[in-house]
Amino acid sequence: MNKAISKLLTHTHNLFVEARKAGLSITHAREIDVVRSLAGVDLSKIDDYKISLRTNLVSSQEEELVFERIFQKYWDFEENSDEGDFILARSELLRNHLETGRENEGHRDMFSETTTHGEEEVTRRSNLITRWDPNAPPLDKSITQLAKRLATRESRRQTPFPKGRMLDMRNTIKKSIRDGLEISKIIHRKRKIQKTRVILLCDVSGSMDVFNAFLLQLMFGIQKQLKNSKTFVFSTKLTDVSTMIKTRSTTIALEKIANYVRHWSGGTDICSALSALNRGILKEGKSSTTTLILISDGYDSTPFELLESGGTVLEKELRTLKRRIRHFIWINPMYGASTFEVRAQALKLALPYIDYFLPAYNAKALHRLVEGLSKI
Amino acid sequence: MENTKWKHPFRDVEDVENILETRNYIADRALCLTSKLAFDLQKPMLLEGEAGVGKTEVAKVLAEVLETPLIRLQCYEGLDSAAALYEWNFARQMIEIRLSESESISKKTVEKNVFSENFLLDRPLLRALRHEGPRPAVLLIDEIDRADEEFEAFLLEILSDFQISIPELGTFKAKQKPIVILTSNRSRELNDALKRRCLYLWIDYPTKEKELEIIRRKVPDLEDNLAKSVARVMQNLRDLDFQKKPGIAETIDWSMALMHLDVSELYPETILETAGTILKHRDDISMVQSVNLENILDTKNS
Repeated sequence: MNKAISKLLTHTHNLFVEARKAGLSITHAREIDVVRSLAGVDLSKIDDYKISLRTNLVSSQEEELVFERIFQKYWDFEENSDEGDFILARSELLRNHLETGRENEGHRDMFSETTTHGEEEVTRRSNLITRWDPNAPPLDKSITQLAKRLATRESRRQTPFPKGRMLDMRNTIKKSIRDGLEISKIIHRKRKIQKTRVILLCDVSGSMDVFNAFLLQLMFGIQKQLKNSKTFVFSTKLTDVSTMIKTRSTTIALEKIANYVRHWSGGTDICSALSALNRGILKEGKSSTTTLILISDGYDSTPFELLESGGTVLEKELRTLKRRIRHFIWINPMYGASTFEVRAQALKLALPYIDYFLPAYNAKALHRLVEGLSKI
Repeated sequence: MENTKWKHPFRDVEDVENILETRNYIADRALCLTSKLAFDLQKPMLLEGEAGVGKTEVAKVLAEVLETPLIRLQCYEGLDSAAALYEWNFARQMIEIRLSESESISKKTVEKNVFSENFLLDRPLLRALRHEGPRPAVLLIDEIDRADEEFEAFLLEILSDFQISIPELGTFKAKQKPIVILTSNRSRELNDALKRRCLYLWIDYPTKEKELEIIRRKVPDLEDNLAKSVARVMQNLRDLDFQKKPGIAETIDWSMALMHLDVSELYPETILETAGTILKHRDDISMVQSVNLENILDTKNS
């Protein structure tokens, strides 16, 4: 193999590694496709080399920006190494053609240990057990109704059903042939019931402290009723508590949450929570069957980052979120108050993307919410 | 059926660029290179971008260049495999069964007969797979984001193996892999599995120079000065926060409208009078009425 080509393949492999680190899905099939693509490309043109990689490795506009950033960073770095004319020529071309993809710099992986909020974060850990009120009015009935409303949706797929409203011509014809060429029985079908994946996102920041008892009841109830649902809590960090609250004993579950969720009663960063969801669980699964319930007062303690192209990062995350879910339900405990006004900036920005904006803060309000959701 | 590899006519990226240009499609390098790779690797191409930036046009032009049929599957919510792949001609089957009653034909023969190819109605996907050639068909799966996710999953088998199974007839494998182009307006996120099978390209709004070239090609009778003004205004309009930013399709429509109205120069009043050809939302038209159109015309920077 030509030495320069061999070197280029090594660099290409290094780029795969970098892209993987940045969260791009680089499968072996994609790697093979890249190498096959390079065979038909004029490698003296850096743009062609870059486009060949990009078109094979990315799957969205956001990933394109991530790729551009990695690509430029990688070749800029290589420019300083003594790799010969081949690399230097590429670096010169790079300087002329590439623009930095800054848009994604604001992204933070909230699931990782090295979160950027670490130093300034308020970790006022409270004893959650004292907030759990075993004598609180039961929400079970309302939560069961809520779960039923959320989880039963007609699919477009059909299944044979004797009293179904639709005709199954294919099977009717097959049956009539079997029955002696006589159309003896009309076979019917109905639409299947589709399971909905519910993602519950609870704001556990300081401003929501007064609603903690209700929040906990709702979290336990939803998780119990809908086995495939997921529950997250957020303040300045996002934490998946689904497995913790699946425990039968509420006391053990609360102990676990108290030990693990150290950011309970902290500040609020809705944007980062949505960003982590978009990059995490919402990337998987079907958007048509996912419903997100966000319980928050909308007060955000983190300043909004602005995009170079205009607008805020929060709006960008909301747009992405909207594409990845079927329904966005925002439950605002404050909404029930007679003096309620949409003052919170995060809520103002989110309103165009919300399908259902509803109040709930106790059993009675939850019952009304279930009725409000009847059309979902 | 054997899968034969077809040799495409494009030697290099410049070749793609030139050939598309002869058909009045001004493509940037990324699109030309991705198209060439799609031919080389025989992989589907997924084009994403705002409505009206020319995604569908790519498929039309490629079909024209290759002198091969364009088979279009327009996606919509509720699209199922019957509408996309094949259907049995139930009415004809019923008649055939009735006719068979008077003859002494065995049930097995009747069943074999009514579920034969004679009673099969080809829909776009099957038509593309069964296309005989000499060149493969261009299969345009338009606005895939409008279809349900179940339909996306169904497409996976076709886009991976280019074959489909009809229970009564067996498996159909494409004689020649069709050139597949999927387009999406990004109204929702597509399945990762589907995206991995495709070459991806985001098509953005064109630059001013490219837009001007497109106007010159598509509306050659428009005066050059006016074409320049149109390109400039369109670029400036896209900076406004519209609900739906005008795309290339709107630029061409507007240029045609101006030509038919015998307009030789753009004034704020002209823009307002013809705003309906560019903007398709009431709020957007209200916005354009409230901004300073002298700035949009931006004659100093022409």
